[in-house]
Amino acid sequence: MAITGIPLSWYLIAGAALFCVGVYGVLANRNLIMIIMSIEIMLNAVVLNLVAFARYMEPARVTGKAFAIIVYATAAAEAALGLALIISVWRTENTVAVEEIDLLQG
Amino acid sequence: MPVSQVVFLAVGALALGAAVRVVMSHRVFHAALWLIGSFFGVAALYMLLESPFMAGIQLFLYIGGVAVLTVIAIMVTKGGMRPDRRSTNDPWSSAVVAVALFAVMVWMIIQLPLPAEPASQVHGESLHLLGAALVDPEGYLLPFEVVSVMLLIVLIGSLYLGRER
Repeated sequence: MAITGIPLSWYLIAGAALFCVGVYGVLANRNLIMIIMSIEIMLNAVVLNLVAFARYMEPARVTGKAFAIIVYATAAAEAALGLALIISVWRTENTVAVEEIDLLQG
Repeated sequence: MPVSQVVFLAVGALALGAAVRVVMSHRVFHAALWLIGSFFGVAALYMLLESPFMAGIQLFLYIGGVAVLTVIAIMVTKGGMRPDRRSTNDPWSSAVVAVALFAVMVWMIIQLPLPAEPASQVHGESLHLLGAALVDPEGYLLPFEVVSVMLLIVLIGSLYLGRER
């Protein structure tokens, strides 16, 4: 049974709202782990757009989902690498606050 | 109002409300739990988009992988933020930027000639087509293989960065 009655623009606006929540989180937080979580919300919003386009714009429903799967793999790599960096920084600096990390500052 | 729109609004409010709680939360662990709620909401949106495979990936990868990894990172870096330091920047300027960006995006979305109903589906199993396209040299074989090599590099790099020294 097909689910009908929801315009594509609703999904796009929901994705835009999620993305902007993520933007707020990146700008407003000083904790590295909170920033990584906000980036994950933003990536999730992007993938929501891709899946919505796959359903509404193409009959085969393949291209958008193939993009989405590759973005997912990239997001998983980003989360793993980001959290490994956070743990590494915490070992050397004993902090996860962005303004206290000045290892590369001249 | 059709029942599908009611379900969409409820699920969207769950995903969005949980995401707002993530970025507003003052305790990182609470934020991680709300993040799991937000991922669940997005997975439910995928079900509304008739993509149960994507919903399954969302649950496995994000809740099973990213959220658990985040919780582990929070536990490893316990006490990383000193309680006397503010954990946020000025929230108002950040909110202005986010709301302005959202307004621009909505303004662009409502101007586009977007379809109100899904495209009629071609004959054939959607998941089968997706799997065939991912390993088809005419399709997405190259990005698929590049991303698999990238995952291997990231695995090794994360182990190297996170090791005890």
